[in-house]
Amino acid sequence: MSKELSVVLTLLSPFIGGLVYGFERIVRARMQNRQGPPILQPFYDFFKLMDKRSIMIHSFHAFMGIMYLIGTWFSLYVLLSGGDILIAIFFHVLSLAFLVIGGFSVRSPYSVVGAMRELIHMLAYEPVFVLAAVGLYLVTGTFQVSELLKTDTVPILTLPLVFIAFLLSLPAVLKKSPFDIAEAHQEIIGGPEIEYSGKFYEAVYTAKWIEYVYAFFFVFLFAGGNYFLGAVLVVLSFFIVNLIDNATARVNFRQMVSFHWYILIPLVVVNLMLLALWRA
Amino acid sequence: MNLKKYRKKSPWILHYNTGSCNGCDVEILACLAPKYDLERFGVLNRGNPKQSDILLVTGPVTKRARERLIRLYMEMPEPKVVVAVGACACTGGVFRGMYNVENGVDKFIPVDVYVPGCAARPENIIDGVVRALEILEEKKKDLQLTRKCVGDIEYVLGKQLNRRKIVAEGIRRCYEDRRD
Amino acid sequence: MEQIVGALIVLPWIFAIAVFLSPNHRLRQILTFLSLPVLTYLAFKVWNSNLPFFVETPHWVETAVTVFDYLLLGYFLYQGIKFRSFLVSVLAVAQLFLLTWVLLILPHSATPPIYVDRLTSFMYLIVATVGTIICIYATKYMEQENLDRENRFVAILLWFLGVMNFAVSVNNIEWFFALFETTTLASYILIRFRWDEISVKNAIRALWMNQVGGIAILIGILFAVKYYNVYNFTDILKINATAISMIPLGFLSISALVKGAQMPFHKWLLGAMVAPTPVSAILHSATMVKIAPYLILRISPVIKGTLLAKLLITTTGFVFVAAGLLALTQDNFKRILAYSTISLLGLMMLTASMGSSVAILASLLLIFFHAVVKALLFLEAGIMEKEFHVKYIEEMRRLIEKAPITVFFIALGFMSMTIVPYGIFIAKWITLEEASNFISHGAYIASIIFITIGGVILTLLYFKVIGVISRKRGEFVSFKLEKLPFIYMFTTGLYVISTIVGSLFIAHFSTDFVNLVVKDITGEFANIKAESLTLITPVSQIYDWQILGAIILLMIVPVSAYFVYFKADRVYEYTCGENISLNIGTYNFSCISKIEPFIETIAVALFVLTLVLGGGLV
Repeated sequence: MSKELSVVLTLLSPFIGGLVYGFERIVRARMQNRQGPPILQPFYDFFKLMDKRSIMIHSFHAFMGIMYLIGTWFSLYVLLSGGDILIAIFFHVLSLAFLVIGGFSVRSPYSVVGAMRELIHMLAYEPVFVLAAVGLYLVTGTFQVSELLKTDTVPILTLPLVFIAFLLSLPAVLKKSPFDIAEAHQEIIGGPEIEYSGKFYEAVYTAKWIEYVYAFFFVFLFAGGNYFLGAVLVVLSFFIVNLIDNATARVNFRQMVSFHWYILIPLVVVNLMLLALWRA
Repeated sequence: MNLKKYRKKSPWILHYNTGSCNGCDVEILACLAPKYDLERFGVLNRGNPKQSDILLVTGPVTKRARERLIRLYMEMPEPKVVVAVGACACTGGVFRGMYNVENGVDKFIPVDVYVPGCAARPENIIDGVVRALEILEEKKKDLQLTRKCVGDIEYVLGKQLNRRKIVAEGIRRCYEDRRD
Repeated sequence: MEQIVGALIVLPWIFAIAVFLSPNHRLRQILTFLSLPVLTYLAFKVWNSNLPFFVETPHWVETAVTVFDYLLLGYFLYQGIKFRSFLVSVLAVAQLFLLTWVLLILPHSATPPIYVDRLTSFMYLIVATVGTIICIYATKYMEQENLDRENRFVAILLWFLGVMNFAVSVNNIEWFFALFETTTLASYILIRFRWDEISVKNAIRALWMNQVGGIAILIGILFAVKYYNVYNFTDILKINATAISMIPLGFLSISALVKGAQMPFHKWLLGAMVAPTPVSAILHSATMVKIAPYLILRISPVIKGTLLAKLLITTTGFVFVAAGLLALTQDNFKRILAYSTISLLGLMMLTASMGSSVAILASLLLIFFHAVVKALLFLEAGIMEKEFHVKYIEEMRRLIEKAPITVFFIALGFMSMTIVPYGIFIAKWITLEEASNFISHGAYIASIIFITIGGVILTLLYFKVIGVISRKRGEFVSFKLEKLPFIYMFTTGLYVISTIVGSLFIAHFSTDFVNLVVKDITGEFANIKAESLTLITPVSQIYDWQILGAIILLMIVPVSAYFVYFKADRVYEYTCGENISLNIGTYNFSCISKIEPFIETIAVALFVLTLVLGGGLV
C-alpha cells in the first residue's frame, strides 16, 4: 500500500468506520425484522453530540477520552502504513490504555468495572491476534503489512482454523455479543464510556468506529495479495459477526477468557503446528 | 453550520420509572421493539443520563423517587426535553392524593410533552416523542434547572453555575417542605 | 587491565569499609555518592578495553577462596544451629561434604580463573550504574528510618556490589560457587536486617533455598569433572555438547532457576520485602537475581537447541505466566513488584535459553531495562512508604491528588514494562518474531503463547495499579507538586531519564552496544541494523516515527494531563441517581488464588522434568 493511500485511508477512517457502523445498525435491524435507522445515523449522532452542552467529571478524565481517539487513530495508521503487524497490535493496546486509565480515573463504579473488563477483553483476544500474526508470517514469510499485501499466496487456504479462531475472537475486539462484557449496556451501561458526554463522548464514539476499520483490515490481510477475496472475506465476516451478535446472549468474563484460551488458542496452535511440521 | 437540525435525527432516550405500575414501561419497551421500531427515527435507549436527550418519565413520583428524578434530570446535558408518559406521570393518576406520592412529574422538573393514557398506547408515546423532537429542535442550550431550583439560585450560589452545587441545592430545597 | 578489574572488585569493599567506619552522615553520603562516578568510569574503562581477556591470579588467592568457602559454609551451619533451622544445617553439612569431594577430585587446569568478556563488562556497567544509585538512595532512606544503623546498611549494600562484580567475572565454577554463596550470605544479612521475627524467618528461608542452588552447582562441578574433566566456563563452552552428557549443564540450569526465584523456589524473593526497601531494590534489579540469566547466558551456546533448552523455555515461560497470574491476587505494592520480577526473570531466562543471537540480544535488553525500571519502581515504593505512609494498593487510592510526580514516575515505570516503545517491549517483540522461525517445535510455539499471555497479564496487573493511583475525586483544587527530598528526586529522576533515553535510542543502543555482547556470547552479531531511530530486525522493523509517536503519547500526554483544563459543567459520577458515598475498591482476582496449589504443582513438575529429561538423568 502506497504511503499516500495509507494516509488518505487513515484520515478517512472515521467516515468509513461510521458508514460501517451505520450499515451494521441496518443489518442488525433487518435481522430482527425491523426497518432500522438510516445509514447516516452515526453521523447524525455525531453532529448532535457536538451540539450538546458539555458536562464532565474532571478534565483528566475528559482528556483521556480524547487521547483514546488520537491513540486509536495513530494505531490504525501504524497498521495501514505497512509496518509490522505485531507492532500494530501492541499499539492498539496503547490506545486502549488511555480508555482504561480514563475509566479508572473517576470514582464511578460502572466505569471502574468497565475498565477492568476492558483489560480482561485484552487478555482474551490478544493471544489469538498475535498467534494469527505468527501464522501469517509462517505462510508469507513476513511481518510487514506492505509485503503481506503483495504476496501471491493466499494465507486463508493454509490457515483455515486460524481464520475461524480469528473470526470468533472479533466480537471480543468490537465488543459485540456474546463478548460485550466491557460495554454491557444492560448491565454496566457502557463501562468505561459511561461518564463521557457531549463532545467528550463524541471522541470515544468516533474511536469505536476507527476500531471497526482496524479490526476488519486484519480480516483483509488473510487474503494476502488477492484483494477481491479480501473484500469478500471482510463482507462475510461482517455478516457473521453481526449474526452472532444477534443470536447470542452475553457470557461472563470467565467464560469469555476460557473460550478464547481453551478453544480458540488450541485451534490456532493445531493449525500452526501441523503447517510447520508439514513444511519442515 | 447549523447543527440544530441533527438534534431531531438522533434522540437518545433515558427512561425512568418513578414508581409506576410498569404498565407504561411495558408500552415504552413495545415502542422500541420490532413492532413499532422507534430506532428507525434514530432513537436509542441509552440508560445513561449523560448521553441522553429525552427523559421519558413514568409513574406518579413517589417520595423516594423524587431526589433521584432531580439528579437524573440535572445530569442530562442541555438541550433536553422531558416527556411524561401516562396518566400518573402527568397528574398522579389513580394514585393522586395518596400519602406517598407527589402527584406528577411537573412539580419537580419542567415537562415538555404530556402523554396521557393508562397505560399510554405505543402510538401515543411515539406521537409524544415526535412532538418532543420538535420542541427539542427549538430548545436553547442554557442551563435548565429543576422547578425547585428556579428563582434565586444564582443569587444563592453566585454567578458560577456548577452543576454539582446546583444539584445539591435543588435536593436540599426539595426536602425543605417535606411533610413526613 | 587486570588492575582495573581488580579495582572494580575491591573498590566497593573499600568503599564499604570507609562508609562503615565514617562517623558522619554527610561524609557517608559523599562517599556513597563518589562510588557512582568511580565505578562507572572503571566499568567503562573495561568496556573500552580489548575484550575478552583472562586474568591470572597468584596461587594464594586459590587457597584464600577455599578457606573462605569453608568459613562461609561453617557460618551457614552456625546460623542453622543458632536459629534451629533443620534445613539450613543439613544443607550446609551437605555442601561441606560435596565441597570437600569437589576439592579432592579437582584436576589441575591451566585456564586462568578470571575471565572478562563483554557479558561481564555489561554486568559491571549495570552494577556500577543501577546498583550505586540504589546505595545513594539508601543513605536518605536509612536516615529516615534508623540513622544509627545507616553505616552498616549502606556498607553491606556497597559490599554486595563488589561481590556481584566478582561473581560475574569468575571463570572457575568452583570459585563461582563461592561467590554464589556469598551473594546468598549478603541477601541473608540484608533480609534479616530489621531483626524482627518475620525478618529472621524470611532470611532463613532465603538462605536454605539459595543453598539448594549452591548444591546444584557443586553437583554440576562433580559431573563436569567426571564427564568433561574441566571446570571452567570457557572450557565447557568449547565442548561439543550434543555428543556428551548434559548432566552438569542441567544442574547449573537448576541453580540458575533457584537463584532466579523461579517457581517453586519463588518464596524467598517474596520474603525479601520485609527488609528495608533498598534491599528489595538491589536484590531485584542490579544484583542477586540477575545472576540467574547471567548463568544461563554463559552456558547458552552449549545448550542451544538441546532438549534442556526447550524444557527451560517451557519452564520459564510457564513461570512468566504463572507469576503474573499470582501477582493479580496481591494487594501489597512491593509484593506485586516481586511477583512481576519473578515473571520477568522467567522471560529473561526464556530468551537466554533460546540461544540464537537475536534472542540473546532480547535477553540482554531485558536485563538492562528490567534493572533500571525495577530499581525505579522499588525506590518509588520506598518513597511512598516513607513520605506518604502507604504500602498497600488500597491505601494508594487517589495518590494523584497528593503526589503527582510519584504517580507519574510509577505510571511510567509500569508502562515501560509492557507498552510499546520501551525496551522491555522491544525485547518481547523481537523474541516473538525470533520464536516464529522455529515454530515446528512445541517449545517455541509454547513460548509464543506464554510470552503473549504473560505480557497481557502483566499489562492487566500494571493497569490495575495505575488505575487505583490515578483515581481522582474532581478537578485539582490547586495543582502543586509534592516536595520530595533531593536524593529521592535525583535517584528516581536518573532512572526515569535513562529509561526514556534508552527507549528512544533503542536502535543504536542495541546495535552499537548490546550487539557487541551478543558477539562475545554466541560468536556472531545479531542480524539487526539501526537507521537513525529505526530498528531493523531480520524480518521486520520498528520505525522512528512509531517510537517517537509512542513516546510522545506516553510521555507528553500524562504530563499535560495534569494541566489540561476544559471549560464545562462539573457533574457527579453516575450512580443511578442515588446519593451514596463512594468507596471504590479493586478487583483482587480471588478466583486465581484458588488455583495457586495447582500452579505450584505444575511448576514442580516442570522443574523436575527440566532436571531429569533436560539434564539427561534417564
